[in-house]
Amino acid sequence: MVLRKSTLMSQARYEAYSAWLFAAPALILLSLFLIGPFFMSLGLAFTDLRLISPLPTEFIGFRNFVRLFSDTVFFKSIGNNFKFVLIVVPVQTTLALLLAIMVDKTRRFSNVFRMIYFMPVVVPMIVVSVIWYFMYNPSIGLINKGLSFISFGVLGKSLWLEGEKTALPAIMILSTWQGVGFQMVIYLAGLQDIPQSLYEAATVDGSSPWHTFWYITLPQLRNTTIFIVISTTILAFQLFTQVKVMTNGGPNDATSTTVLYIYNQGFKNLKVGYASAVSVVFILIVLVISLVQRKYLKSNREVG
Amino acid sequence: MRKMVVFLLILAISLPVFAGGSKEEVAEGSVEVSVWFHSGKGMERDTLNAQIADFNAMQSDIVVVAKQLPEGSYTEQVNAAALAGGLPDLLDFDGPFVYNFAWAGYLMPMDDYIDADMLADILPSIVKQGAYKGKLYSLGTFDSGLGIYGNRIYLEKAGVRIPTGVDDAWTAEEFADVLLKLQALPEVEYALDLKMNYGRGEWFTYAFSPLLQSFGADLIDRSNFQKSDGTINGPKAVAAMELFQSWFTDGYTKYNPGGDTDMADGKAALSFVGHWMYTTLKEALGEDLVLLPMPKFGGKSATGMGSWNWGMTSSTRDPEAAMIFLKYLMEPDQILRMTNANGAVPSRKSAIAMTDLFNVGGDLEVFIQQLNSTAVPRPETAAYAVITTAFAEAIDNIAQGADVQAALDKAAQLIDQDIMDNKGYK
Repeated sequence: MVLRKSTLMSQARYEAYSAWLFAAPALILLSLFLIGPFFMSLGLAFTDLRLISPLPTEFIGFRNFVRLFSDTVFFKSIGNNFKFVLIVVPVQTTLALLLAIMVDKTRRFSNVFRMIYFMPVVVPMIVVSVIWYFMYNPSIGLINKGLSFISFGVLGKSLWLEGEKTALPAIMILSTWQGVGFQMVIYLAGLQDIPQSLYEAATVDGSSPWHTFWYITLPQLRNTTIFIVISTTILAFQLFTQVKVMTNGGPNDATSTTVLYIYNQGFKNLKVGYASAVSVVFILIVLVISLVQRKYLKSNREVG
Repeated sequence: MRKMVVFLLILAISLPVFAGGSKEEVAEGSVEVSVWFHSGKGMERDTLNAQIADFNAMQSDIVVVAKQLPEGSYTEQVNAAALAGGLPDLLDFDGPFVYNFAWAGYLMPMDDYIDADMLADILPSIVKQGAYKGKLYSLGTFDSGLGIYGNRIYLEKAGVRIPTGVDDAWTAEEFADVLLKLQALPEVEYALDLKMNYGRGEWFTYAFSPLLQSFGADLIDRSNFQKSDGTINGPKAVAAMELFQSWFTDGYTKYNPGGDTDMADGKAALSFVGHWMYTTLKEALGEDLVLLPMPKFGGKSATGMGSWNWGMTSSTRDPEAAMIFLKYLMEPDQILRMTNANGAVPSRKSAIAMTDLFNVGGDLEVFIQQLNSTAVPRPETAAYAVITTAFAEAIDNIAQGADVQAALDKAAQLIDQDIMDNKGYK
């Protein structure tokens, strides 16, 4: 009896060890590159640290935060992030579902379509951005030339990236196009997880295709949708590459995003302390949004 | 299906290919000099690469190992490398960005390595650009020229006087009249191309701060570089920027030009731009291309100057070797090799004497005249990084119709705040 207990103990200890061992790589990397920097930036936000300077770093209290509240570019950048999330997340999710259903229902060449829709995801964002930068050129770009050709010269005069009103929508279009394939694949997997028996029962009950979609497909995809909405939201808040490559925040800050602003403050204006203060405020905002999303979606999960 | 998904996911994750860097072998007994430079326009980059290859081939004591960084984020990358302690021996800087580096102590003065004869042969504007607090920190193989290119056909049709040198540059009244007459020509879409398509960045400060100086204003009070308020937003500066804004409101220029070729395509009659457009415009307009000196917008002439320049870092292992390579780049033949490729102004008098383009009667003689008389360097202060950001933002907003006084006040506040935060950059 005593012997058995000690074996159990050592086995439990052994399992604990191996659990820590397996978790170690992730834990080390996370604390090194995520948790550590987060607490560092929290501390640096209260200093005047400069990227390159012979002056010693000093503790300056809340000065960075006070300045932040009268910084119009910061508010414009946050606003752009919200605009981007509010439009791109629903549009991209809906589009991904539509594409997934279309690919799922297609009998012939479904593999081909799947590959075509997925291809942009495989191309690195920086390459996509450079290509679309040329396509958006107002005078010689493919998009304006094409629009002008099919509309006999009526359309195709938009300034796209160079116009203050059109620049952010242009980046939204490209981002959706690039990202939608990934969500589509996840939806496809979700669609194929729905038991066939549910559809058979619906057919027997004489359900119309619309009813089947609304009362069987959609509710069955709830968990998939939750995953997609949350992951797209987080990605959308990190918007940087496209903007850095294509507009650098212009024209007149119309496409400036918070991450780009942090980058510019830190590496261009050399104000690392101030950039840290911006990131701290930004993290708090994103944290609140994630918590709200989590709370709301969690209560739904029990139903689904 | 599942397999397919997994396969695609793995593909997506593994795609960012790791690009391995290859390090050149350094032969025994030779010194390695590491060099960074911005990968500029095609011809410029090719020339520098060829120069490095030639230098490595012609002697065996020094091996130059060069690395190009993309121009778009060059300064940011160099800043980050400085912080991480990973700077090379020799690197190039975009004009006045060199001062912040000198102030922060990342650069080594090169006075001891340059003899008086060589110094006397270098354009005064280049020496001025490289000097910070009485020491020489950088040298450029070329300088820039800023002027207005004109289309002779349009100018003659409009019946306006065509200036030939700095001394007879257009006055403010003449320039207003020129714009009016050129705009009236049916074949001209708009009179003046200001290259606003370059976007908010160094161009805005380089090109339009001379307007301030022409009116007697400036970016900052240069007596001690401590205060911008009262200089960048004083009545003279406001007058200069109101003139600038009027070109937009009167329709003489465009905030969103169709592209980079409006002058070459004949849509614009004048182009306010630097030496780098010469080749393109010469190809398009041929003998009809004229280079005009910067008009006396506010009573006196002022124009821009300065360009990429080479500095030696304080972590340089062998300053002698680094300077031997820099002096090779500064040889008149090598300077001409570069300026023939990029169209810039050679930085040594002996090199200028060997060209037709910049000599008396040459197409670009005006640039030399300006560099010797009316060109104003951008402020030689470590605060330059913030000055240019603040002023470029003001220019951008003013061009789009913002209140001039308010835009300049905001710039002054940003600059002075930064100088105060850095205890005067002393």
